[in-house]
Amino acid sequence: MTQKTAFESRTSLILYFLEGSKKYFAMGILMTSLVSLVDFINPKIISYTVDTVLGTEPSSLPDRINAWLEGYGGPAFLRTHLLYIAAAVVLLGLTGALFRFGSQLFNVTGAEKLVKRMRDALFGHLLYLPYAWYAENHTGDIIQRSTSDVETVKMFLSEQLTSLFRTVLMLVLAVGFMLSINVSLTIVSCAFIPIIVGYSFFFHRHIGSTFEVADEEEARLSSITQENLTGVRVVRAFGREKEESIRFRAQNDKYTEMWIRLMKLLSAFWCTGDFFMNMQLLSVLALGSWLCAADRLTIGNFIAFLAYNSMLIWPVRSLGRVISGLSRAGVSIDRIRFIMNAPVEEDAPDALEDVPAGDIVFDHVSFRYREDGPWILEDISLTIKEGSTVGILGATGYGKTTLAALIDRMYELPPENGTITIGGTDIRDFKRSSLRRAVGFVLQEPYLFSRTLKENLLIAADDPDESSLAECVSTAALEETIQDFPEGYGTFVGERGVTLSGGQKQRTAIAQTLMKHSPVVIFDDALSAVDAATDAKIRAALKKNLNNTTKIFISHRLTTLMDADEIFVIQQGRIAEHGSHEQLLQQDGIYRRIYSLQSAQEAEW
Amino acid sequence: MVSGKSDYDVKLPFFGLPKLWPYVRGYRGWILFNVVCATLASLIDSVYPLFNRYAINHFAALHTTDTLPQFIALFVAIVLIQIILNFVSTYFCGKVEMEVDRDLRNLSFEHLQRMSFSYYNQNNVGYIHARVISDTGKIGEMIAWRMLDTVWMGSYLFFIIVVMLRIDLQLALYVLTVVPAAVLLITLFQRRLVVLNRRIREINGRITGNFNEGITGARSIKALVIEDRINDGFTAETANMERTSVRTARISALFTAAVTTMSSLTLAIVMYKGGWMSLEGIMEIGTLSVFMNYAINMIQPIQGLVMTISAMIGIQVNIERFTRLVETEPGVTDTPEVTEKYGDIFHARTENWEELKGDIVFDDVTFQYPDGTEPVLEHFSLNVPYGTNVAIVGETGAGKSTLVNLVCRFYEPTEGRILLDGRDLRERSQLWLHRNIGYVLQTPHLFSGTVRDNLRYGSPDATDEEIREALRLVSAEEVLAKMPEGLDSEVGEDGGLLSTGEKQLFSFARAILADPRILILDEATASVDTLTEKKIQNAIDQVIQGRTSFVIAHRLSTIVNADVILLVHDGKIMEQGKHADLMRRKGMYYALYMRQYEDMLVDEVK
Repeated sequence: MTQKTAFESRTSLILYFLEGSKKYFAMGILMTSLVSLVDFINPKIISYTVDTVLGTEPSSLPDRINAWLEGYGGPAFLRTHLLYIAAAVVLLGLTGALFRFGSQLFNVTGAEKLVKRMRDALFGHLLYLPYAWYAENHTGDIIQRSTSDVETVKMFLSEQLTSLFRTVLMLVLAVGFMLSINVSLTIVSCAFIPIIVGYSFFFHRHIGSTFEVADEEEARLSSITQENLTGVRVVRAFGREKEESIRFRAQNDKYTEMWIRLMKLLSAFWCTGDFFMNMQLLSVLALGSWLCAADRLTIGNFIAFLAYNSMLIWPVRSLGRVISGLSRAGVSIDRIRFIMNAPVEEDAPDALEDVPAGDIVFDHVSFRYREDGPWILEDISLTIKEGSTVGILGATGYGKTTLAALIDRMYELPPENGTITIGGTDIRDFKRSSLRRAVGFVLQEPYLFSRTLKENLLIAADDPDESSLAECVSTAALEETIQDFPEGYGTFVGERGVTLSGGQKQRTAIAQTLMKHSPVVIFDDALSAVDAATDAKIRAALKKNLNNTTKIFISHRLTTLMDADEIFVIQQGRIAEHGSHEQLLQQDGIYRRIYSLQSAQEAEW
Repeated sequence: MVSGKSDYDVKLPFFGLPKLWPYVRGYRGWILFNVVCATLASLIDSVYPLFNRYAINHFAALHTTDTLPQFIALFVAIVLIQIILNFVSTYFCGKVEMEVDRDLRNLSFEHLQRMSFSYYNQNNVGYIHARVISDTGKIGEMIAWRMLDTVWMGSYLFFIIVVMLRIDLQLALYVLTVVPAAVLLITLFQRRLVVLNRRIREINGRITGNFNEGITGARSIKALVIEDRINDGFTAETANMERTSVRTARISALFTAAVTTMSSLTLAIVMYKGGWMSLEGIMEIGTLSVFMNYAINMIQPIQGLVMTISAMIGIQVNIERFTRLVETEPGVTDTPEVTEKYGDIFHARTENWEELKGDIVFDDVTFQYPDGTEPVLEHFSLNVPYGTNVAIVGETGAGKSTLVNLVCRFYEPTEGRILLDGRDLRERSQLWLHRNIGYVLQTPHLFSGTVRDNLRYGSPDATDEEIREALRLVSAEEVLAKMPEGLDSEVGEDGGLLSTGEKQLFSFARAILADPRILILDEATASVDTLTEKKIQNAIDQVIQGRTSFVIAHRLSTIVNADVILLVHDGKIMEQGKHADLMRRKGMYYALYMRQYEDMLVDEVK
């Protein structure tokens, strides 16, 4: 699930991610080596065939193989049985194909296991991060890190690193084989390698920033479009279609020109690469021809050498790009590390599993979000009796929600800022999951998951049974809404489903939370988008069906709170007054002022 | 919204190229040029092995270096020609790609500026955005690169076959027996892979959706204590991804293996038959080496061609979406006569524009949204003389914008007509109307750029003095004073650097600056602080003086003084009258007002 190590370096994170996929990559590399080896044998067969079987030159194969071949009749036998050579080529081809199959499969399996591990680790980690972390970080940015940065790291580990390895291996093998044929030819051939690699490396390094600029221009074009589409009403209402089109055209031209310039650079790069490559080929051809003419090289070996040379050239050409791309991966790893190193919510090993029934007591609680920030709550002391209904009244943005969020430990209350207890036990001693199971919390703006309505309703239920679902749906006054949907409970909601109105969402969230059967339920402005009649209906049903549940209503609507056993009026982070509706009316305070203002107003008409 | 699934199954004749042709005709010269370049380049590519042959047959076999200088000179010459050819063709190919992209983007963007609002209501911004940015990009890529690749590979294949046939007919025919088998095999694999890759993309989309859900739904997940459950769902999805990807990899690895085996098979044929021919003295060693070279290189272009075809199949959907976008008729259009007199959005004939006073009459209007099932207005008549303040109230989502949409001619009545200064709205151009309307949106929308750019949006010629005056009128001077660079301060994308209240004030100022005859205000529901709210209210009172105005109100306290209040419920106008009348009636307006009144009182206590 969650893992506790903080990743101090890039390597430690990479190693952590590589667990479980390492062996596949190792196998992939092994297979790749075998593929190269097989590929390198082919030219040997060709040169042997050309020189010794078809020609009259002595064999250049290792002595042991020559001896083995002689046992079957040697070149003379093969000369009349060319089919054997063809069979050997096919056999070798099949072996190579088998290794290729293996190397690709192992490599992809490794890559997929790696990606799965990265995603699972990230998602698992994200889920258990404290809520405060989400408030500090942008959603878009987190998603970016979890998707495209993961992709970059995957590419780096599964493709760039392996291709680097493969290239180096190819290089070593090719040079080895080439050396065995002719030293001076090899020197000429290899002399071009540093030129090609270096040239490609410097080019990519140089052009990297130009690519970034082009990406920025594209982003700008994209956001002009986005702005135009989201602001379509403004554009139309001001009759600015022409100016918008001019603006778009200007950026479109800029972006296009940028890319055409880039294309020119890239074409030049490719063509120069071609030039180097062909010059290398020419040098090898010319020197080889001369060596052959001077009888210092056999034709077969010359052909084989040309084959090795052509195998060498492509990987070498891509090497520079691979090397220059490596730095990009480092940045992505750091961006992922940022998430993986954020500390998750962790319970003490001796944290209590069971949350007892009992009163909820705030004892001199003060709270602020940041060390240097303003106090949101100051010196709050209050008692919420077990099974009672409590109202918290206050204006928008004045600490009502914070107060409630402290009860289910969405925010951690520092020890020096007072204590909150349930049934006499400090809530910091409970396991967070146990505490949150015991305290149901209905949000003002709840999130519905991309699933069916029924799955949403049952998402938090431990043992979903139909009668309990029907009861909760009825309490939340959701029955009719569900009946109105053609697909009823099966209606797909959430991001990719039908859009529910604010009130429907709130009522769904109420039913969803009720399915948890928590002994305490907090309604954080959870009826704000519900019309007055339904509001009253839900409150009546809650009173009747959740008789023993401690209910905490947070609202700035008086009628929602009026029939609570006790009402706390929060003003600027402090409790200004408290008592039942009747008691509060007796006092000459805010509550009475609001109430009488309303009555007076009503009498006027 | 268009469902994504059926979109993939688009099948058009000739990969949709005929449909696309009218839009890329202008580039036919360049496209032809690229085709010629690609053909020449492939010709040269197929010639290279002949140098090997000559080197082997002549220098190596005859032990001579007599023609080596000429050989080198010819080689270098060919290389230089090829490099120039490659440079020219890749550069122009890229240029064609980018320019086709650019033109298609311009075309779709400009078309969108005329598209009616029903289009915007039926398609979300993300969908339309993708049509403008990504479809056009894919089409441009196809027109340029796929074309180049196809031509290059096709002619390369053609040339090496011709060269082989010329050198040795018999051996060439042996080699060519492999081609049909290769085509068949590659096609079968490719077809299977396309399906699997699409599935992978779908799963990938779901995984991103999961991340989105886990992050934006974090508060709910924690409150419901369903971290484990959500995590299980996620790991099931990633496991599915791994399974599907590995299955796909197995097939694609098998594909690679099959292709290389094909190459080996061809090589074996050449060595067996060619070896025999060379033993018989019918074929020189160098020629054999050329054949071996071709044998190894032949499979790759075949594979490339098949892949190009499947890419073209994939791109049909982009062509279909693009042509559908630019061929959709805008729902609201000006008649040719109107355009003749008043001009269109790109060529306004302002000299013919009349002054507007602002008398509006709804004359027996019936209206149904194009995507609606029943009329939302039936035989609605209302007289709004110049200077009247009309308030429209109702619950969220009740359809308060309908009247405003009709006044702005974002939609046209299904029956009946709307008269502006006594003449039907349709008798004048949309641009003329819109230039006379000021619109302040519920969610204020600013464009990235400076404060000045934004305020001058509706009146590009406004001086700084006038801008400051407008800001003073809506009491936004303080907001401006706080900004480090004054009018030159950037507001960020969608005004992201400003608070909602500040954006609201600026959008008021923007509307005032345009000095419209008709003003439409869609009030903010977002909680702005009391002070800003007061300022906005004052601004409204200021601004509506001497103009015909429509206010869509969420807080009823702000519209008690309106000349006429319309209460909308379920899209229909249920009550109509002045505040006092409606309160006396004790109907829906009364209920709505009482409910909000409480909220307001509580907030006032702050």
